[in-house]
Amino acid sequence: MTSLVSRRRLLLTLTSAAALSSTMLTNQALAQGAGDPIRKIILITDTQGAVPQAFQAAQLIAQAWRQLGLEVEARPMARQAQTDLVWFNRDKWDTTMWRMVGRPERSDPDEMTFNLFHSSTAPRGFNFVGYNSPEYDKVAEQQRQTVDPTARKALVKQAQEIVSRDTPYAFLVHPTTLQAFNQNVFDSASIVVQKGVGIRNFWTFIGATPKGSQKAIIINSGTALQAIHPLYIAGAPDSWINELIWDRLVRIGPDGLPRPWAAESFKFVDDKTVDVTIRGDMKFHDGKPVTIEDVIFSYEAPLTTDKSPMFKPFVTDIDRIEKTGDRSMRIHLKRVNAAFATTALGRVFIVPKHVWEPHLKSVEGKPDTLEAIRDPINVGSGPFKQVRARLNEEVVLERHAEHWAAPKMERVILRVIPNAEAVVGMVRSGEINLLSEYGGDPDVLEKLAKDNPAIKLTQVTDVGIEFMAFNNRRPPFDDAVFRNALSAAIDRNILVQAAWSGYAVPSVSHVSPAIDFWYAADVKAPPTGINLAKEMLQKAGYVVEGGRLRYPAGKKEALQPPG
Amino acid sequence: MSYALRRLVHSFFVLWAIVTILFLMFRLMPGNPLAAYINEQLTEEDQRLIMVQFGLDRPLYEQYLIYIANLFQGNLGMSFFRREPVWDVLKSALPNTLILTISGLVMAYVFGVLAGAWLATKRGTLAEGVIVPIALATRAAPEFWIGMILLTIFAFTLGWFPAGGANSPGATYASEWSRIFSFDFLLHITLPALTLALYLQGLPLLLMRSTMLEILHEEFITMSKIKGLSPWRITLHHAARNALLPVVTAFALGLGATLGGNVVVETVFSWPGLGRVLVSAVSQSDYPLAQGAFFLISLVLITLNFFVDLVYGLLDPRVSHG
Repeated sequence: MTSLVSRRRLLLTLTSAAALSSTMLTNQALAQGAGDPIRKIILITDTQGAVPQAFQAAQLIAQAWRQLGLEVEARPMARQAQTDLVWFNRDKWDTTMWRMVGRPERSDPDEMTFNLFHSSTAPRGFNFVGYNSPEYDKVAEQQRQTVDPTARKALVKQAQEIVSRDTPYAFLVHPTTLQAFNQNVFDSASIVVQKGVGIRNFWTFIGATPKGSQKAIIINSGTALQAIHPLYIAGAPDSWINELIWDRLVRIGPDGLPRPWAAESFKFVDDKTVDVTIRGDMKFHDGKPVTIEDVIFSYEAPLTTDKSPMFKPFVTDIDRIEKTGDRSMRIHLKRVNAAFATTALGRVFIVPKHVWEPHLKSVEGKPDTLEAIRDPINVGSGPFKQVRARLNEEVVLERHAEHWAAPKMERVILRVIPNAEAVVGMVRSGEINLLSEYGGDPDVLEKLAKDNPAIKLTQVTDVGIEFMAFNNRRPPFDDAVFRNALSAAIDRNILVQAAWSGYAVPSVSHVSPAIDFWYAADVKAPPTGINLAKEMLQKAGYVVEGGRLRYPAGKKEALQPPG
Repeated sequence: MSYALRRLVHSFFVLWAIVTILFLMFRLMPGNPLAAYINEQLTEEDQRLIMVQFGLDRPLYEQYLIYIANLFQGNLGMSFFRREPVWDVLKSALPNTLILTISGLVMAYVFGVLAGAWLATKRGTLAEGVIVPIALATRAAPEFWIGMILLTIFAFTLGWFPAGGANSPGATYASEWSRIFSFDFLLHITLPALTLALYLQGLPLLLMRSTMLEILHEEFITMSKIKGLSPWRITLHHAARNALLPVVTAFALGLGATLGGNVVVETVFSWPGLGRVLVSAVSQSDYPLAQGAFFLISLVLITLNFFVDLVYGLLDPRVSHG
């Protein structure tokens, strides 16, 4: 309740402050003449029902921008329509609320650094804002090719500085993930908090120790699963299950850094050669041993055929793989990739060759891919094996007792629960004992924990980012000064309180403080404030006339507001 | 017989129209299934391949012809995202939805018919003044609200019932039948079925009541009274039987309509049914799955409608098919 009251008060203060300063700089320096008035800006946002935080933030941002003399319309759009416009019609929109969600593999900064802002991904890829900076491109490429972590860290920092300076997005916040577990069920010390991910992570699943008779970890997902499949990438809950059934050579540790797993060791012999030795004590769920042939097959299936398109991107840097011993192989790379351990060794699942080679043969010469193959019971070599999967309802896994790191709990049960309020009731009744995601009101959960000492809440800052994307292709957003001024007009602290109810931290760049090894703490947030934003615009020649912000002298408005 | 045949042809035509509208509706909606695939590594070539795989690179009329041809062979296609035959996906959700719908409807109609018949005999009394507004209010209240109230009282506060799902976490059963007939399943279905029943009871209750009121004024009722039959016998055996006709129609149509309209109850109670499959299919632009789900619902609705039309004549000979 308290946070609700404070949220309302904040909104009030914000709107009254708006009236105060609106005329301050209007009349200065108008004599030289000005360009055309800037067209109405359409600010696309998620609907209130879909992402209430983003919707609320968009309203506050629109309000702030209006004080600069812009005409702004905050336009809520359904997810599909929004994606269609922003992603597939790249020159037809002005600004939009957008987000990158946190995933364990995003703990390596390469994906966020390269894909989001490198100019090569602007036409079709993730650089949907069309940011184009040769200086940035160079740094982004270099960090990818620098294997030495310290040298790479300096480059990643440089990338953060350039992005913070050029403001291709107005970075808003990194949300905080709120989770909970039942201390009567688990020994608290055995619950692992992974950076950027929280307590629902691989290390908790294998390490959680039962305190009483309950030997099942019961988690929740708001959405149904699509496929439990080692070569298919679907939603988040699917990936939680997949990574328990199938092992990887490398896993992302609680610290966010890659560590050997099914690989006993991996070593860069030189920039483009990696030697991998696998453990000798691994078994598939059907009792057969995991051999180096299985591992090579798992990498070659996506590499040498077009039957595993979703996993192909992870192996594109590989030139070829040679077997060098009973438990060892050598991977030759086509090009240097500093993130290789995370993005390839940490992604590809080890599948049994005796199961998947026949599958591969069965789709040869047909348009089908391995993704359409369904095994009634999935065979992996991970610490849990599948018992049952009803994708709309629940998935049941049980411990693989012969695993070299066998879990302490007997079972993992994932329940699909779309009703956020019911989830709270289930945490209380024990129908769920590890709350893995929560979309409801944080206050309700806090009250639950207060009334039930057994329920322990946990919070971590997400690797993901919420931001306001500027279409860098379209004037006036092609002007870095303009983007900077608009970003400066946004008070992140108010957004954190009023839109995210305090469950977020202000964001400065594309690297989250959650991955502290790569986060450059000394890249400070540029100062914000409406008056500062006005000054920035004025210095760059933008003027306010008759309450409307105009382009600098001589600049014409060539565009219409998007329809 | 020729009437039945005419109705059958008519039903087929309606089904074809629905199928065509469904086909066009999803393809004309903003967004395309690629949106759900957005991935930083997805290249232009990958995107093209996905479109080819889904058959979306072909012209619209060709997609339509393939769709209709498949439908005639009972093939609803493959779900884009689950990569499973649509029928398999629907099949796993259908039993839960059918059982929930039928339990809710039966509860609603048994209660509604009896209470409606009884109320008709209480015209102008206090009972009428209290019960009719209550029936109207529960009928008008949003389903999710009724559901949340029931959850709050019976699950969160009293702890008598579980807060969601169709079975306890990790429960195992020898077969689908033993699952459905287990006590655990009964515990789980009670609150959602009750919510549905509360929401649905208004229609049969009011329909029954008003039809009864009309019938109670007819001459054959007066005749029965003169014959000296007991009021209870008159109400149930003579009046209620005649008043049932419109209620039967409403029941059959209600079954079809509720089948797909359970989304709200299914979401509130995390019930793994058809409604939720439908919603997620639509939001992901999983055309085959969404079309398949709507098709199934339409098929049930049209079939029931067809049989009701036939049965109507048997129930009441006055309905002529001339």
